[in-house]
Parts: sequence; C-alpha cells; structure tokens
Amino acid sequence: MMRPAGAPGGREATSPGVPLALDLSGVGKSFDGRPALSDASFALAWGEVHAIVGENGAGKSTLMNVAAGVYAADEGVQTIDGEPISPRSPMEATAAGLGMVHQHFRLVDSFTVAENVLLSLGRRGAVRTVAQASAAIAAKAKEIGLPVDPARIVADLSTAERQRAEIVRVLLLGARILVLDEPTAVLTEEEAKALLSFVRRLAGQGHAVVLITHKFREVAGFCDRVTIMRHGRTVLAGAAVAELDEGEVARLMVGETLTTGGRPASTPGDVRLSVSDLTLSAGPHAQGLASIGFDLRAGEVLGIAGVGGNGQEELVSCLISLSRPQQGTMLLAGRDVSAASPRERRRAGLRVIPSDRFDSGLIREFAIAGNLALSTVSEGAFGGPLFLDRARMRKAAATAIDAFDIRGATPARQTGLLSGGNAQKVLLARELDTGMTVLVAHSPSRGLDMKATQFVRSAIRRAVEGGAACLLISEDLQEVLSLSHRVAVMNRGAIAGCRGIDEVTPEWIGALLAGHA
Amino acid sequence: MLDAAFLVRRQAPGLVLSGFCYAGGLAFGLAVSAALLVQAGVPADALVDEFLIATFLTSDGLAQTVTAALPLVLVGLASAVAMRVRFWNIGVEGQLWLGAVAATWLGIAGGGPDGLRLPSMLLLSAAMGAAWIAVPLVLKLRFGVSEVISTLLLGSVAFLLVQHLLFGAWRDPATGFPVTAAFAQAARFGALGWGQLHAGLYAVLVVAALVWFALEHTRIGFYADAVGLNARAARANGLPVTGTIVGLVLLSGALSGLAGMTIVAGTEHRLNQSVGSGYLFSAIVIAYLARARPLWVVVVAVMLGAVFTAGSVLKVFYGISEGMIVLVQGTVLISILMAQFFSTYSLSRPG
Amino acid sequence: MDFLVGWIAIVPSYATPLLLASLGLIVCERAGILNLGAEGLMAVGAMTGAIAVLSGADPWAALAAGAAAGIALAFLFGIATVVMRADHTLSGLAVVAVGLGLTGVIGRPYMQKTFPGIASFGEMFGIDRSSALGRIVAVQDPVTLAMPFLVVLLWWWLMRSGSGLRLRAVGENPAAADVAGIDVQVAQFGAVLVSGLLCGLAGAYLCVATSHVWVEGMIAARGWVAVALVIFARWNPARALAGAIVFGSADALVPRLQAIGADIPVYLAMMLPYLLTLLVLVASSMAGRASGEPSFLGRIYLRQDKH
Repeated sequence: MMRPAGAPGGREATSPGVPLALDLSGVGKSFDGRPALSDASFALAWGEVHAIVGENGAGKSTLMNVAAGVYAADEGVQTIDGEPISPRSPMEATAAGLGMVHQHFRLVDSFTVAENVLLSLGRRGAVRTVAQASAAIAAKAKEIGLPVDPARIVADLSTAERQRAEIVRVLLLGARILVLDEPTAVLTEEEAKALLSFVRRLAGQGHAVVLITHKFREVAGFCDRVTIMRHGRTVLAGAAVAELDEGEVARLMVGETLTTGGRPASTPGDVRLSVSDLTLSAGPHAQGLASIGFDLRAGEVLGIAGVGGNGQEELVSCLISLSRPQQGTMLLAGRDVSAASPRERRRAGLRVIPSDRFDSGLIREFAIAGNLALSTVSEGAFGGPLFLDRARMRKAAATAIDAFDIRGATPARQTGLLSGGNAQKVLLARELDTGMTVLVAHSPSRGLDMKATQFVRSAIRRAVEGGAACLLISEDLQEVLSLSHRVAVMNRGAIAGCRGIDEVTPEWIGALLAGHA
Repeated sequence: MLDAAFLVRRQAPGLVLSGFCYAGGLAFGLAVSAALLVQAGVPADALVDEFLIATFLTSDGLAQTVTAALPLVLVGLASAVAMRVRFWNIGVEGQLWLGAVAATWLGIAGGGPDGLRLPSMLLLSAAMGAAWIAVPLVLKLRFGVSEVISTLLLGSVAFLLVQHLLFGAWRDPATGFPVTAAFAQAARFGALGWGQLHAGLYAVLVVAALVWFALEHTRIGFYADAVGLNARAARANGLPVTGTIVGLVLLSGALSGLAGMTIVAGTEHRLNQSVGSGYLFSAIVIAYLARARPLWVVVVAVMLGAVFTAGSVLKVFYGISEGMIVLVQGTVLISILMAQFFSTYSLSRPG
Repeated sequence: MDFLVGWIAIVPSYATPLLLASLGLIVCERAGILNLGAEGLMAVGAMTGAIAVLSGADPWAALAAGAAAGIALAFLFGIATVVMRADHTLSGLAVVAVGLGLTGVIGRPYMQKTFPGIASFGEMFGIDRSSALGRIVAVQDPVTLAMPFLVVLLWWWLMRSGSGLRLRAVGENPAAADVAGIDVQVAQFGAVLVSGLLCGLAGAYLCVATSHVWVEGMIAARGWVAVALVIFARWNPARALAGAIVFGSADALVPRLQAIGADIPVYLAMMLPYLLTLLVLVASSMAGRASGEPSFLGRIYLRQDKH
C-alpha cells in the first residue's frame, strides 16, 4: 500500500494543530463474510474538496457509509473534528457534523420538501411546523446560493432539484462535512458544473466536502485532493490533484491498464432491426418515449449515449415487448413484430442484456443451469412438452460454464451468489447463442471490474464481427465511443441526434446531452 | 430495538443452518402448543398417548389419521401449487365447499349409470372448485385486486351458499336437520375395511402423484418457479407467464374442490355444515411447512391428519374445542416464521 | 319509512366495529406493516370482552379488556414482523389462526350466554322515541357518538402532526426516515400495537355493545372486510368513515329485514357485504395509482439493503 507524504496539498492547506474534519483509519467491514473494506483510511481537512475515486465495488461508498453511521464498522477508528466517534446511526453522525447525500436520495417522494426537512428537524430546535421548516429552507438556500422551493412535492422535482433539496436538508441538520455519493452521475453536464461550483463555494466558507466518484476526470478541476481506493483498500491517500496525471489515477484505480480493443472490424450489411415512430406515454415513475426511430444493420454497433433516466429503460422495455408502446412499428429482419410477444421476438433472433441483470434477465434464486435454460426450455431444448430433462440441463450448463469461463459456478449453484462479472457471463452465455441476430445491450459493463468489462466488450465485438447487429445503450460515454459505428444521443425520451462515429465531437454530444439540439 | 446497523442479511444460509432454524421453530411451536393444551386441562402424560400412540401406533388410530389426511393432502397441494406462482389461495375452504356442493348434487340426485357416478362427481367437483377460484384470479389479473382478500371473502360466500341450500332445498326431509339426505351407495367411496378408510385413497394417491410429476418432472414446475420468483424475467425470456399462473391457480381450485368431494363421498356421505371447516389454515400451514413441494405436502398432511385425529379424541375426553387445532397451526406457523430470522440474518458485532 | 328509520338507527352500531378496525389497520399500514391479522385481533377482543362482562366487570371495563387483548396478540405480530422481519402476509394469517384458535379453546364456557351491554342514550337520558330522530338517537351509545371525533382526531394526527408525519415517512420510505433519526422499528411496533388496540376494541364493541352475546366465529370475516375497507379508504381515516357506513348499512340490512318479517333468502342476502366488498375492491383498483398505498407496505426494511 503506497501512501505519499501526509502533507495535505490543495488550495487551503491545513495548519498544524487544527484537527482534521474527518479521519478514518484501519477501517474494516465485511458483509456476511465477504470483505468490503480492509484497512481503509481517509483524512479530510476543513475547507477542502476531497475526491474519493475508485471503480464500482472498490469500497468508496461503503467507507463513507461507515463514516456516516449507515454501517457499523467491524474495526477501525474514526474522528470528526478531532473527537473520536463511532456513529451507530446516520443521525448520530449528522449530529457530530457529518451529513451524506446518497445516490438514492433519502427523501419521501409523496412529501413536500418542507415536510421532508421537518421530518429530520421536527423534534429538536426551533423548527416544529411546516411553515417554520419552509422559512428555514428559504434562509439556508439563500445563504448558500442553492435555489430550492420548499412547497413542492418531491415526486414532481427533477433529479437536480431533489439533489439540491437533499443538500439543503443535510446542511440544515448542522452538517459541516458534506459527503456526496456519485453526485454527478445523474446530472447533465451543465447541472454537474453548477453543483461542483457550489461545492467549491461551500468549501470556501469553511465546510469540508467529500466527492465520491468513479469518473475522476469530471471532478478533477474542482477538487483539492484525491484519495484512491481499490478492492476495499486505500491505495493513494490524499494526494494533491495538481501533482497527479490522469493516467496515474486510472492505473491506481484499476491496478492494470485497460486495453481498448476498438470497435468491431466489420462493415454494416442489411438492416436487421428497424424501429420507427416508437411512442410511449409517460407513467408516474417512467419517462415517456417520443417518436423514436432508427435502423440497425448487421455487423454494426449503434451506440445510444445519454444520462440515465432519459427513457433508456423504457426503450429497452418496448424493444423486448415488456411494455406496449402507444404507437410505432418494429421490424426484425424485415418482419413486422410490432405486436409480437417477447417469445416471438426472441424466436426472431432478438437478445437482450438488460441494465439490471436480476430484473428482467436472470432469476437470482435460480440455479445457474436454470437461468441458462430459461429461454430454451419452452422451445423444447430439454425434452418434449411433457418432460423436463434436468440432467441434460445441467450438462448443457457445465459446457456453458467452461466455454464462458464462469468462475465459482457449478450448474446447481444459486445464480445470486456469483460476483457481478460472473453473473453477467451467465447472461452472455445464454443470450449470445447461435440464434442471435440482434443484440440489445443496456449498460452491459455497469458495475463490473475491468477484467469483466473487457470480457463483455470483446464478447459483443466478436458477436458483431460474426454478423450480429448490436444496439448499445450506455451511460458510459467511453464505452459508446469505443464500440459504436454510429452514435445517437437520447434526451427526455427522444433521440436528439445521430451521427457516424467519425463525425462525433465532444461538443456535439455535450450540446445534445444538455438538451440544446 | 434491535439496532439495524448490526443486522446483516446472509448471502447463502446453509442447509444445516436453515434446517436447524426450521426444526427449532417447529419444536418451539409444538412445545408452546403442548403447554397450551396442558393449560387447557389435558394431562401432560396423555399428550404422548394421544398425539403419537393413538394416531400412528394403533391400527384404528393410524386408519383414522390416514383418512383425515386424504382431504388434507388435496388442500395442501392446492395451496402449494398456487404458492409456487405467488398466488395466495386463502379461499381453499370456499372452493372445497363448492366441490362438496357439486358432488352432493350428483350424490343425492342420482341418475345415470352407477359406474359413472363417482367419476362424474370427481370431475364436476374439480370443475366447480376451479370455477370458484376463477373469480379471484380474473379480479387479480384484470384489476389487480389482492387475491388474499377476494379468495377469503368468497370462502364466506360459499359457506352462506351451503347454508342457503341446507336450510332450504336440500334440508333432510326425514329429520328436518340442516343436512342433506344420505348419498346412494353408488355415490360413496367404498370402504377398504380398515377403520373409516375408503377408496378415495386411490384417487388422492393418483392425484398427488400426478401433481408431483407435473411439478418436478415437466416444464410446468420450471415455469412455475420462474414465474413465482421473477415474473418479469420469465416474461422477457419468452415463458408463458399468464398461462402458467392461470393453469396452476385453476388447478389449485380444482384440487380444493376434489377435497370437498372426497369428504362428502368418503366419510360423511352427505353434506352438512361442518364438512368444510378447518381446512383454511391447514392448507396454508401444510404448503408452507412443505415449502410447496408435493412430496413433502403428503408427509406434512399425514402429520396434520394425526393432529386432527388427536383433536377429535381430546374433544371427546377433555372437552377441548376444535379451535385447538387452529391454535396449534397458528402457533407452529408463526414460530417457524420467526425462527427463519436466525437463518436469514446474522448479527455483526462491531470490533 | 318505519323500516328505513329502524335501519338507519342500527347502522352506526354495525359500522363502528368496521370503522375501529380499519382505523387501526390504517395506522399500522401507514407505517408499512401489512396487517392481515384483523380477524384474529377482533376475535380475541370480542371474547375477552364477553369474558369480562360475564365475570362481573363493567361493560366499559370489558371494552378496555378487549382492547388490551388485541394489544397482546398484536404484540406477537409485532415481534414476528417488526423485530424478526417475517413475511407480513403469512404472519398476519398466523395471527388470525392464533386468535381464532385461542377464542375457540378459551371461550368455550362463555358461549351463548347473554349479558347486558353498554347503556344507550335512550337508557341514559330517557329520550323520547316517538319521533324518527328520537328513535335513531335513542339507540346510539357514547362509542358510536365518539366515532366522528376519533376519525377527525386520527386524520389530524396522521396528516397534520409531526409524529404523524414521521409515521407516514416510515411507511413511505423507511430509509429516509432512518436517516432522519426516526427509529423505524419503534415506530412500526407502536403502529402495530395501535392496530391491536383498535381491532381488539372493535371486536369487544361488536360483542359487548351490539350482540350482547359471544359465540365462536362471531366476527364472521368482518376483520377481512376491514382489511378491504382500508384499500377502499386509500389509507385515509375520513374515507374509512364513509366506507364503514356503506358496509355497516349492508351488514345491518339482513337483521332489519328479518326483524320486520320480510320473506327473503336470508343466507343469500347475507352475502351482500362480502360481494359489496369485492365490488369496491375492483372499483378501488380501477382508481389506479392514486390509491394512496404506502410505498413500502408489506416490505422488509434493512438498513444494509439498497432501497
């Protein structure tokens, strides 16, 4: 474990004698025997913005959840402003001055912002009514320069507005250390910039801010120092951002370098999937789709970039016929499948890697053999209509486990027990079968480590080089750009624009993502 | 309160741990039940006699236990097949009543060749049971109405229908009691010459074997588990989700209907106001304890048959209400439910 | 007219147990705990009330005893669902079984014995029964009179008070409530006990004030009707009042018709409340997303899980 000289860098170096805002050392935490943190450490000074970076599953959020009292650490020491503390609840941590804004905001959707604030403040201090809570919010919002409307119902707010409400709530509770978990992941670039400038101002006022992120590039300009985590350990503690280069950060994050294999070396052929005028009305928790249309050819990857929550889930749901759009046609290899069931579309060669593999892809509680056979049992792959040859199912599973190098798997093992990468391989093994002609891949490498990501991407690449057509929907711009022949951008349920990869510029994507077409 | 911060969900509770918790819950529930019985006036030393010796180890007792188990196997299977697709059939009693009514209608009306009487009673009672559960099924699939409430309320409606018949058209003309006339011989399961045991045993064994085969060795069980565990994934993978649910739920109703038929044609030989009582919780408890697996359903049903047998003895000798059986079922159920806590979660102690 | 007055007069006494039970369930389910145990809670309340009166207790004390019995059984339910985090549906059914079983075992000696109930306004104040209004008011009692006030109070508490806000937060988003420093388990356990109190009281009222006799199975699925009523009421006490009146009217119709000697198929007529309940459930579900169902109803909260 490397730990550069402890001198804090950054714009506002702490003077000796002043206690650290937050100091964690030797923190260990495991969940039911699976270690999430081992000997992790973190030191935060007052007045700085400090980024914690690392891959998904590196332990960044877990470490901060420990600091914020969500999890109790198995071992380790924590101080806040020099005072030893081991918070047993989020409230204890907040009372000591540390507040965390989670990725899933801790707001009650059916309440107004003021009611949410009242919920936290209601039993102490002067705020006891909705009116008082509203006044407190307005005052705080003005003081820190974040617009928040206390009277609105949370369910009606945009993601950015919810995030602001959550920040104001945490600050009103008395937090002087603000921990933000992946705050920019759900924002457009402009919103993210506004948030990061706010965070900078807050630090200027003497607060301490922690930004958890796996996209260091996006926050680098706003941070003083960075701590890098990998596999539950701190691999770089509090280095000044100015002294680091991006390659070094990436190397420390992943422990090895990612070889990008490039896009599939194939030329687009016949149109395999043709979608036109796909329209879905918005639901209470679902984005609508506005007249989506595209053609997808054999041997081609069409990448769809966009911030999550702009209709990607709904598009996939319509493509695999789990949702029924109000209008629109869909042709698979020239055949109209607009009214076809999921099963018929599958028979026509459509395969899917959903963004949440345990939502519509795999069954967590099923044995691996069962999941591998899930779509073929009904086609008679394991005996006629009457019998189910479970022995043959297990044999086929053993073959697939070998072929896809699925680690820790046996045919009878429960799928939910596999690591993310290996569960994804189970899904790939089932979906990338010989009958596949069109692959819809939604965030296929989300949450996977570098090795598994490479595996997934090269599997897609091979499939496309073998003549398949792939619709790649991803929030990871890098992924889209490195694999696609054409790139489309999705915004508010519509395709905002589409270009060949050679004409794609960062400015063009940025403008479409922000909604300025 | 138990501090949430220290409670951790186990990734994979081992078989040993799960089994231990299950057995512990069962033992605890039974111990509490025994204590309640002793409290209610049953001498402690009589418990072993009544629950073990008089139910399994004497010929008469075993015959009675097996006889009592026949409808229990059917309602247990009924509850289990519905549970496999996450459909709470709390209205087993209602479908059982309808099956009994259908069988009674053929049983007292007569007509047709004698040889076809029992088969037609079997078919019609199954059909009526299925028809009765079709209502909550449609309400759930079409309108999203919770089947817990609808199946249960239709159970009450079915019982009122039975009372309507028994206090009206079907009242025994000979005695004026609210029971129907006795069935013709052709409408009764023949006695096997061992206690009250009747030929319905064969029907139940065949049905149980078929259900077992269907769920364990055909696609049906595979579909059912997929649909029950993750209907979305099942649909996305092209499985016939609605068809599986409809099929198994109708089967559930049919099995309950059959149970009603075996009671009236096997032991009572007439319809009365008590043939259907006591099966609601039995069905749930059997299916839950058997983890909805057909073979285990049969085993648990026989165990519960013993409790029924012992219950009727205790009623005669110690004046213990039949409510005792329901109480034992409730106690064991909640005890096992609570015991699962220890296999689902572990407590992590901060170092 | 005479029939109508007589009918209206007894509707409150039929509506009151349904209302009490559904108010209890509303509090419980607003905290996220699905409570299907109402039938069992009402059963022990009814039996305990009867035993208390038959043992010489004041009818008012009997109501309190019934409520206490409901709390005791709800305590078991709370241990199972809140502390041990067991499945709410199965735990609720187990509570029904335990409640019905207990009443069968313990209550046997107290069956079919009539006893005096709580005094009506007619008996208290000697109200003149010559007018229609007089006839209606005379048969009411302090409990039925208290119902509208209880509804307003409970509505205000749930929707307007700070502690009501916290309770609702637990049922909507326990993770948010947890972060806000609310002890989710304590709030849920408290709500479960309230449901036990009100359901127990409902059963005791049915037995002590309405029927003046205890028989096994006298709740006759009213607990389940109350469960359905909560859905109809969209978890709102005010709507529960309206619903209880509708169901109480249906429930009171048969005894009224019998009382005037109408020749009707009694058992078929008795199906009415159940069929009405099913109808109302269909109508409620067609109302769609505005159902008001607490978002976390029936689910298990664990801080470690990602919600």
